[in-house]
Amino acid sequence: MFRDVTFGQYYPVDSFVHRMDARAKLILAVLYLVGIFFINSFVGFAWLTIFLLTAIFVSKVPLKSVIKSIKGILVLLIFTAILNVFFTQEGNLLLSWWIFKIYDEGLKFAAKMMLRLTYLVMGTSLLTLTTTAVDLTHAIESLLKPLSYIKFPVHELALIMSLTLSFIPSLIEETDRIIRAQKARGADFDTGGIGQRVKAFVPILIPLLVSSFRRAEELAFAMNSRCYEGSTKRTQFRVQKFSWRDVVGVLFQLVFFVAIFVVFAMQDSWAHVSWLYF
Amino acid sequence: MDIIKLVNATYNYKVFNDDGTQSFAVGVDDVTLDVVQGEFLTLVGHNGSGKSTLAKLLNGLFVPQKGSVSVLGMDTANEKNLFEIRKNVGMVFQNPDNQMVASIIEEDVAFGVENVGIPHPELGERVRWALESVGMEQFAKKTPHKLSGGQKQRIAIAGALAIKPQVLVLDESTAMLDPQGRKEVLSVAKKLNEDFGMTVVLITHFMEEVLQSDRVVVMQRGKIIATGTPSEIFSERQLLENAGLKVPRTIELAQKLKESGWQVEENTADAKALGEMICQLL
Repeated sequence: MFRDVTFGQYYPVDSFVHRMDARAKLILAVLYLVGIFFINSFVGFAWLTIFLLTAIFVSKVPLKSVIKSIKGILVLLIFTAILNVFFTQEGNLLLSWWIFKIYDEGLKFAAKMMLRLTYLVMGTSLLTLTTTAVDLTHAIESLLKPLSYIKFPVHELALIMSLTLSFIPSLIEETDRIIRAQKARGADFDTGGIGQRVKAFVPILIPLLVSSFRRAEELAFAMNSRCYEGSTKRTQFRVQKFSWRDVVGVLFQLVFFVAIFVVFAMQDSWAHVSWLYF
Repeated sequence: MDIIKLVNATYNYKVFNDDGTQSFAVGVDDVTLDVVQGEFLTLVGHNGSGKSTLAKLLNGLFVPQKGSVSVLGMDTANEKNLFEIRKNVGMVFQNPDNQMVASIIEEDVAFGVENVGIPHPELGERVRWALESVGMEQFAKKTPHKLSGGQKQRIAIAGALAIKPQVLVLDESTAMLDPQGRKEVLSVAKKLNEDFGMTVVLITHFMEEVLQSDRVVVMQRGKIIATGTPSEIFSERQLLENAGLKVPRTIELAQKLKESGWQVEENTADAKALGEMICQLL
């Protein structure tokens, strides 16, 4: 039942983007997320398309896999689009029927909103497609390191993330086993109303919870036995190194995003260049 | 030289009964035992005989309520000693899935070495050495959840080994494995004992695993009821049966043949070898 779940969606090929340092990629992803909200014209989105397509091409991840990531937010996309179309009441009236009025500004606004959300998801999924969850954890630990000076438990947080990642496959297997065991005893998960189905999951959740606690205890024993005493004198096995790829990658993205920020900052004085702000 | 010394160690579990009262269940009861440097010691016992509790006393996971346990002269009751003690007593547990800390094998093996604070390049060398010692070096960059139980357990051994302990305790590490996996883990343990002089404490309820050890300790209800070489232990058939243990069938057959006057080697768990011996006699 759960066998085909692959955690994260890492696409294992060797490419320029895959080889970039996870920290650089993470910072660039944040820059990308922020940058997207400074785009408010179709020209801007076209500009972003060039960037995203180039990045996808260089990463050797098939465009299809990146586009597939939108599936998860399809409902949200349609929902926001409809809301924006009907509730924006500016610009020229295009269509009026019963209580519904559609304006051209509403259409434009909805289209931009959809583009923004789509690009948001595509960009971040490019990060997870080219970076393993383990690398991401290490990157987060390394980037948050300065916070440990104000007693923020950075190392512990990273350890929790990494433990969670390594226990997901065993927990999935366990759930699968419990479901089969309960089915063998005549449990019925597939019929009945929503209430009944939710109830049917209680006999899965309770054994799962109990066994998770047992696992946690055993894990604590195992970690203690391997001299774990918190972060104080630990060394790091994984060596993270910035390379020329990261410099190239950062410069490349900066070219695009500096332009975006400049166009945004100049919108008052450049307003007469109407195509730029369409 | 004694590496680990248990003197009258007692450890009981608190039991919370359904009616709200508390009682005690025996874990380890007044055990005195020395683990000698370089030996292959096997602890056998039925379920609930206290062998796993004893294992947890060896590196200070549990501290005895009465008596004492000391490792290389350091008392496990003193919390300041625990780091040094655990550096010297590596431990591998029963369920391989529950002792994996990282989702990439070499990082999991590195976990203990990181904790001890070994910097590069020695860190990397130790990880490689540990993986080579258990024959898993080709899996270094893979994830563990696609491996067999025996392979996972060998990785857990590598994780303990990389810290370079003096004693390796295998706390029922073969209990969840299939015969093939058990064989893998045992041969790795034997190899470490022979090649590096590593002291091994193997805890098990499979009597066949007793054969390759230097010394066997049999436990029942928290107490040690017999100590000796494998052949000495196997000759005490009645005692073993009382403890809920069974002499392996091949050995029982050999013993019975010998009792009725045939010239056979007594301690072979290998059915094939025994068969050949019998054929030669006929």
